[in-house]
Amino acid sequence: MLEYLVKRLLGIIPVIFAISVVVFAFVHLLPGDPARLVAGMDASLEDVAAVRKSLGLEGPLWQQYLHFACNALTGDFGISLKTRRPVITEIGERLMPTVWLTVFAMIWATIFGLLIGVLSAVKRGRWQDYGGMIVAVSGISFPSFWLGLLLIDLFSVRLGWLPTGGYGTWAHFVMPSFTLGLGVAAVMARFTRSAFVEIAREDYVRTARAKGVPEKFVIWKHTLRNALVPVITMTGLQFGFLLGGSIVVETVFSWPGLGRLLVDSVSYRDYPVIQAEILLFSIEFILINLMVDVLYAFANPEIRYK
Amino acid sequence: MRLKALLAAGALSALALAPGLAAAKTLVVGVPDNLTGLDPTNVNDTLSQTAMRTVYQGLFGFDQDMKIVPVLAESFEANDTATEFTIRLRKGVKFHDGTDFNANAVKISLERLANPDNKLSRRSLISMLDRVDVIDDSTVKIVLKTPFGALINTLAHPAIVIMSPAALEKYGKDIARNPVGTGAFKFKRWAADTFEVEKNEHYWKAGWPKVDGVTLRSVPENGSRFAMLQAGEVQYVTLFPPELVPVAEKLPNLLVVKRPSIVGWYAAMNTMKKPFTDPRVRQALNYAVDKAAYCKVVESGFCTPLQSPMPDLLGFFEPQKPYTFDVAKAKALLAEAGYPNGFETEIFALNNTNQIRAMQFLQQQLAQVGVKLTVTPLESGVAAQRIWGVQKPEDATVQMQLTGWSSSTGDADWGLRPLLWGKGFPPALFNVAYYKNDKVDADFEGALETADPAKRGAFYADAQKRIWEDAPWIFLGASQLLTAQSKNLSGVYMLPDRGFVLEGAEFK
Amino acid sequence: MSTATSAPAIVVASDMRTPLGEFWRRFRRQKVALVAGAFLLALLLVAIFAPWIAPYDPATPDYMAILQGPTAAHWAGTDAYGRDVFSRILFGARISLAVGFLSVSLGGLVGVSLGVISGYYGGLIDSLIMRVCDVLLAFPGILLAIGVIAILGPGIDNVIYAVAVFSVPIFARLARGSTLSLKRAVYVDAARAIGVKDRVIMMRHLLPGALPNVIVYFSMRIGTSILTAASLSFIGLGAQPPSPEWGAMLADGRSYIGVADNVTLFPGIAIFVTVLAFNLLGDGLRDALDPKLRMA
Repeated sequence: MLEYLVKRLLGIIPVIFAISVVVFAFVHLLPGDPARLVAGMDASLEDVAAVRKSLGLEGPLWQQYLHFACNALTGDFGISLKTRRPVITEIGERLMPTVWLTVFAMIWATIFGLLIGVLSAVKRGRWQDYGGMIVAVSGISFPSFWLGLLLIDLFSVRLGWLPTGGYGTWAHFVMPSFTLGLGVAAVMARFTRSAFVEIAREDYVRTARAKGVPEKFVIWKHTLRNALVPVITMTGLQFGFLLGGSIVVETVFSWPGLGRLLVDSVSYRDYPVIQAEILLFSIEFILINLMVDVLYAFANPEIRYK
Repeated sequence: MRLKALLAAGALSALALAPGLAAAKTLVVGVPDNLTGLDPTNVNDTLSQTAMRTVYQGLFGFDQDMKIVPVLAESFEANDTATEFTIRLRKGVKFHDGTDFNANAVKISLERLANPDNKLSRRSLISMLDRVDVIDDSTVKIVLKTPFGALINTLAHPAIVIMSPAALEKYGKDIARNPVGTGAFKFKRWAADTFEVEKNEHYWKAGWPKVDGVTLRSVPENGSRFAMLQAGEVQYVTLFPPELVPVAEKLPNLLVVKRPSIVGWYAAMNTMKKPFTDPRVRQALNYAVDKAAYCKVVESGFCTPLQSPMPDLLGFFEPQKPYTFDVAKAKALLAEAGYPNGFETEIFALNNTNQIRAMQFLQQQLAQVGVKLTVTPLESGVAAQRIWGVQKPEDATVQMQLTGWSSSTGDADWGLRPLLWGKGFPPALFNVAYYKNDKVDADFEGALETADPAKRGAFYADAQKRIWEDAPWIFLGASQLLTAQSKNLSGVYMLPDRGFVLEGAEFK
Repeated sequence: MSTATSAPAIVVASDMRTPLGEFWRRFRRQKVALVAGAFLLALLLVAIFAPWIAPYDPATPDYMAILQGPTAAHWAGTDAYGRDVFSRILFGARISLAVGFLSVSLGGLVGVSLGVISGYYGGLIDSLIMRVCDVLLAFPGILLAIGVIAILGPGIDNVIYAVAVFSVPIFARLARGSTLSLKRAVYVDAARAIGVKDRVIMMRHLLPGALPNVIVYFSMRIGTSILTAASLSFIGLGAQPPSPEWGAMLADGRSYIGVADNVTLFPGIAIFVTVLAFNLLGDGLRDALDPKLRMA
């Protein structure tokens, strides 16, 4: 087991290296000169040149990459081209709002997803199943920016119950985490349902049932516990996706998170911020994937890699 | 455990933020963008500059109607050749760090900006500065290398501010994170999407400011900004979407303020590319577009058609004979120029709702005279590349570009020269029409060599007339600036250049 | 009803080993999916015959009649240019269906090929392809889209490419999974033993095994792609005006929420119902196709 873990951890290094190269190449391939964007529309040529110099955008690309990579290894991601503040500060300020939003969205989405999924599986083929699945599927069928705007119109403007947006008290979390979690809840519900139905056909569950174990007990003890493994996988993956920050939800609810930072940075061609943020997402995503795999390997030694 | 603590903290702050308690003291403003920095001499967006006007002040400023008013200056005199300006300064003003505002502070601030070694992005505004002489503690003489008639206007530009020399010494480059000025508010915090300043107790205007502080919150979505205002979370909203005005006006506790602007909108035509090389074609397109309909459709009616290449609020504005909407005339002109069946061309602009709408409008209008317009909304970086990535005019891929321009100095020079000067082809300046008329160039240059308003006026009158006839642009409209605020707020207003003034904010 | 022929048509093309009748017998029990399928078929007809059905031209403005609510003349009202919202939705069906279908087909084609190759050969090729998928998955999709559109320029075809990229890694993983399990099947070993070419084994034996999963995922992914295209419109990178793509209509009309709700309400409902139908159809197909889920 330990060997497997070490092997997987070492395997991350080339992937991260590859990502750093891809990201670096990608941002520099995007058309648009950051010096011009930072200097503004009515800047003179010499202003632009001055900005370019002060931003460290001179020299061949490979040199710039080496510079970036070496500094990144020591934890220095440079200075934002747009605000001239350290990239670490820019990301740090927005990390927690995104993490908390993700956590809240995941909590409610997981609870509701599981409930609907189990209900649908148990009442398979009956109206509860259809109802539950239609509710779940509706969740992934809404354009989220439209839903967000409708929620604001209803709960903040017309009813005055909830703040329209921004990061602050628990009340600020309600609408954004609902909007963000809706898709996750739907995925969870469908996934739970299939996992559940599948497990219910396994021999040991049938045996338990045949032995006269009460139905409730069968569901909770045998089925749910085993169905949980794939469901956890899904939770992990979804969590990874959401941690990247949702551009749409963060924009609609004026959330000071990583998704909006990424969009802003892209439109300014703020290379250091884009690079650092994507590296962060990738590492986070890979680690979560790894955790899920390890969990799998624990649960089912057969799929453990040789 | 942490979760619980967070929830508890949340509940507490929810109480603290209950409307009525805190809202009466601190003004919260909803703005569409994030600030880009806290050093006005090194930022380029109006929002950052105008936000910093709460902390920093210049020698001169603009009043509501874009008229020059002295701020830290009291009066000035210029010599005949517009190379020397003597300025008397206000006495008894102190910086936030307690040091005195004086002639030396002016000298240090201006020379800092003009020094190329500092690589400040707004240097070009006063690159003609030779030196600042301290005459006495409250008098300076500004000496220029070349004549520059628009200097006082330039000094009113929000980028040219007077900073505390002690703070500059103390923070060095970090002044960009620790602003110290003479303004009505002291800098408190800038993080992610929130910028906060608090009352300057020792402000030189006795009795002001009337609010405890100002908070700017960046709220990119138009609908969300309006929702926040309705919910009372903000009391002032800038760049209010025109289509929402009818709704806002029905609400009893809100006030929509419409202000004229110096933001002129136009569609530049690349005069070096066929068929736009022929002035008749360019004039035809001007006749083909119904400017009144433009204002109605694109700006929901909050707009006035342009009457000259520059908006009427700028000094030296001269109205021209309008290109009245006339499809028949447009068709005749096109036929004369050899395009009886029109032609195909392309227009680009940024990918925001308003610009896309304006381009769609032009597409529909030009279709009536057989001109088939392809609309290309571009992401800002790509648009910038398309404009400035060009080294030689013949390489330009621009056919038409829709854009708006506001003269950040409030002067005719910066309202016309960057856009229409023969020496201003990209990447030097923003002459996307690649328009070059020697007489117009001579006007621009002549007007800068004198500080005499009569002479400058004559130059600009001639330039406007020639540009209007040459029609390098489809002249569209000057949009009105819309802001919305709670009815109990007074003393805030938007300037015609999209900056805003919050110093006089007061809650009733 | 005419729907009877629609759903199995997908399966005919897929060279299913399960007899068609068996599939149909099971699919018929999925009432919700049948309704969804019927709706999508109707929508397809609407898309095809939009020019004949639509009462107005979708691009012609009428400045005398802007932002009108629903009337007898304009069933869904008019937008900010006085264009008929109903006609635009009918024409928009073409674009939204095309974006959904083409982008997922493209992403599926690339993804499934990569997945089968990866699963069949294993070893270095496998790790290489899977690591590329990891990178793609870890890369925020919206940034990829911005990149694709920035480099290729705006326009509906580039939106399709951008959205297709989102689907590649997921299809690749799906196909790889089923290939891995089928690879050990006796008939594959047998085929290899008698010297059947790799390419043939992959096409004949491995690909069909992956198809049930792929078809299910395909139908669901179309819905997601329509939503992704709408999100791209929201951040200003979607279809070019005056294209009546539903997401663009929704994004363009969003500032009129509260002023003229019809401008967003109808395209919003159109997107919602269509995506819902694709997802429900996918659910039904999965239940009918997945042998593990077969009714006992």
